[in-house]
Amino acid sequence: MGNRKLNRRQLLRIGTLGLAGLGLGACTGATATTAPAAEAPPAAAAEPVTIKWAHYFDPLQSPAQKFNFEWMERMASTFEADHPEVKIEPEYFDWDRIDDRAIMDFEAGIKHDVVFGSPQLMAKHFEVGDFIDLAPYMAGWSDEEKTDLAWSPVWASGSNGDVQIAVPTGVHTRSLAYRRDMFEAAGLDPDTPLTSLDECLAAAQALTTDDVYGLGMSFGPARGTIELYFGPLIWHFGGELWDPEAKEASFASEAGIQAANFIHDLVYTHKVTPESAIGGTYDDAILVAFLEGRLAMGWGFGSYWIVSLEEGGFVKGCFPATDACAVDTGGVMVTPTAPGAQFTNGWTLSVHALSEHPQEAFTFMEHLIKPDSLYDFPDAGLPARLSLWDRPEFQSDFYQTWLEAAGKGRPMPATVHYAELADTAAACLQEILVMEEPVEDTLTRFQDEYNSKYAGK
Amino acid sequence: MPSSRSSRKGLYLLSRYRLPYLLLLPAVVVLVVFLAWPLGSIFYFSLRETPLGGASIFVGLDNFALLLSENRFLNNLAASLRYLVGVLALSVPLAYLAAILVSSRLRGAGIFRTVFMLPWIIAPVVSSILFRTMVDPYSGPITAALEWLTGEKFLFLVKPDLAVLSIVVHSAWRSFPFEMLLIAAGLTAISPELYDSAKVDGAGAWSQFRYVTLPLTRNQLFVAVLLITIWTLQDAEGVYSLTQGGPGYVTEVAGVRLFKEAFIYFNIGIGSAIGVVLILLSILFMILYLRVIGAGESQ
Repeated sequence: MGNRKLNRRQLLRIGTLGLAGLGLGACTGATATTAPAAEAPPAAAAEPVTIKWAHYFDPLQSPAQKFNFEWMERMASTFEADHPEVKIEPEYFDWDRIDDRAIMDFEAGIKHDVVFGSPQLMAKHFEVGDFIDLAPYMAGWSDEEKTDLAWSPVWASGSNGDVQIAVPTGVHTRSLAYRRDMFEAAGLDPDTPLTSLDECLAAAQALTTDDVYGLGMSFGPARGTIELYFGPLIWHFGGELWDPEAKEASFASEAGIQAANFIHDLVYTHKVTPESAIGGTYDDAILVAFLEGRLAMGWGFGSYWIVSLEEGGFVKGCFPATDACAVDTGGVMVTPTAPGAQFTNGWTLSVHALSEHPQEAFTFMEHLIKPDSLYDFPDAGLPARLSLWDRPEFQSDFYQTWLEAAGKGRPMPATVHYAELADTAAACLQEILVMEEPVEDTLTRFQDEYNSKYAGK
Repeated sequence: MPSSRSSRKGLYLLSRYRLPYLLLLPAVVVLVVFLAWPLGSIFYFSLRETPLGGASIFVGLDNFALLLSENRFLNNLAASLRYLVGVLALSVPLAYLAAILVSSRLRGAGIFRTVFMLPWIIAPVVSSILFRTMVDPYSGPITAALEWLTGEKFLFLVKPDLAVLSIVVHSAWRSFPFEMLLIAAGLTAISPELYDSAKVDGAGAWSQFRYVTLPLTRNQLFVAVLLITIWTLQDAEGVYSLTQGGPGYVTEVAGVRLFKEAFIYFNIGIGSAIGVVLILLSILFMILYLRVIGAGESQ
């Protein structure tokens, strides 16, 4: 047998069969992975439907994430109890990669169903088409229902004309968290809000001791650097990160120079902000440092961390919100930048375009954004639904401060190349800080580099 | 016509050994699909602009021209070379020491063999997170020890020199076990009589290493250095997990830039062009090493 020769016809037959097999395999794969959701056949009634839920809740990542993870598990189990025909399968992705993964997986034909997303990356999602239009599924919603969710800029980020690809789960805004006990020890009045950068700097100087930094910020190589610090300060000084008319970066302006100098001086001249903020993560630099008492004030303290303030005993009865909500050793004040010079966003939910069960995925989404579900969602930060704000438990000074902060906020530039803009500006600021590069030249160099690739896009 | 004669000979061999060739076909198909195709794709996409959700267009060498006109990319290449030199300078001596230790007849050498392999088997992302934790300015044991010794706080991921040192030490720590394995294999093939002769001739430990060990492990060293060079040049996950290329672009090696362009910004064309440059660089280093080792052998 081993020496048996194959004739030409047999060879051809084997080759043809092999090629046919390969072709069939490829076609089957392509059909299974890239078929549009709308054309997918309905699942058999008897078969349980699995809904993949892409989330970012890692209980080990930060103190706050533990509570998000517990909420996620509860949401999945309550939905499965009401819908025994559906099984929820959570999929973890890093919070600042989840949008990229949705896009990449769409291009690669990898399916998801319900996906968390970031408003600042919606322009990219619109361009790629990895999220389906939810408008047909929301046709049954009343006007009140839509208005209840559509009030914040987060909803608008997911809209393009009549197309709606994302629904907000909350409102993320940031405040200046402060230690009331440290204010008192430094002879400052904890009940008088700081209203200008000068006042903030003076307080930070008074609060800084050998063990405590007066003002925490974060300038790591991440989006947070531009969103919470560099960007808002540029807005405060009257500039823009990105020119929407020319569609190009514009941070190398007089306002950009003032913002960079202000940050540089906080770290190196006044020494009220730790230098470690340049290399650490946002969570470590603000949340952990504040909870551990290494910061007297934390700039950019997120509404998604209210649960940690409660757990740390800084506030009482504020999470879940109760009408007895009151500050204790810690409090929050509106960041002392000019009106509109603050970033407001929030997480959104979308249905992935490769979902084979878009109806079930949308039903699960509706479960997640029910008022009762969002009520104790730690990462919602603040209620996504306007109607929730009327409840007595949100009338406390603490929550009204957050509401004021949210109202002052604005979204990040709606450019498809937002990730590149954020990385470029963050790297630029880091170079100014650690390498003592001339501010104006460095800003111009980085801005030109960005614009040489993305201007007009 | 020698060419037609050789093609006739090729056809004869193909018909004579058609069954063996047929049996090799699946392996060839797998290689083409998983190796040649992706490699070809990199070259193909490096010449195109591929917008997300749109058709790609041929742009010739525009992606390369754009990269070469950028200070940032030149900085990426410089950072890669700095990274490579640092990793090799640290890992090769360490690998030799470890290889000599695990090849020796010392008691407990087997334990060292297992312990030394640990960095190799830990995933780069995990070891990066471990490194980050160890150099955390407030809770890291390394920073705490250094602060206790010097009275200064070391900000490893903030200061440019320390950030470069961090990625080099991390990568060298991960690389040396592989080099150690190859060198140890070479060491075991050296006859003990050669060392005995060297001792008789009055050679000390350094001379034995210089004139016996090093020349006789040259081939293993070449393979180890070549592979580590290729891996280090293309490394993205270790560096990205540790510094994300910061502060500024100080540790943004070409591999990290490729990762950002291709998988965060989705600039597939530019990412592919960087990939092509890295392949060419790897080939360049291979030729360089071959020449060096060839020159050594001729001596």
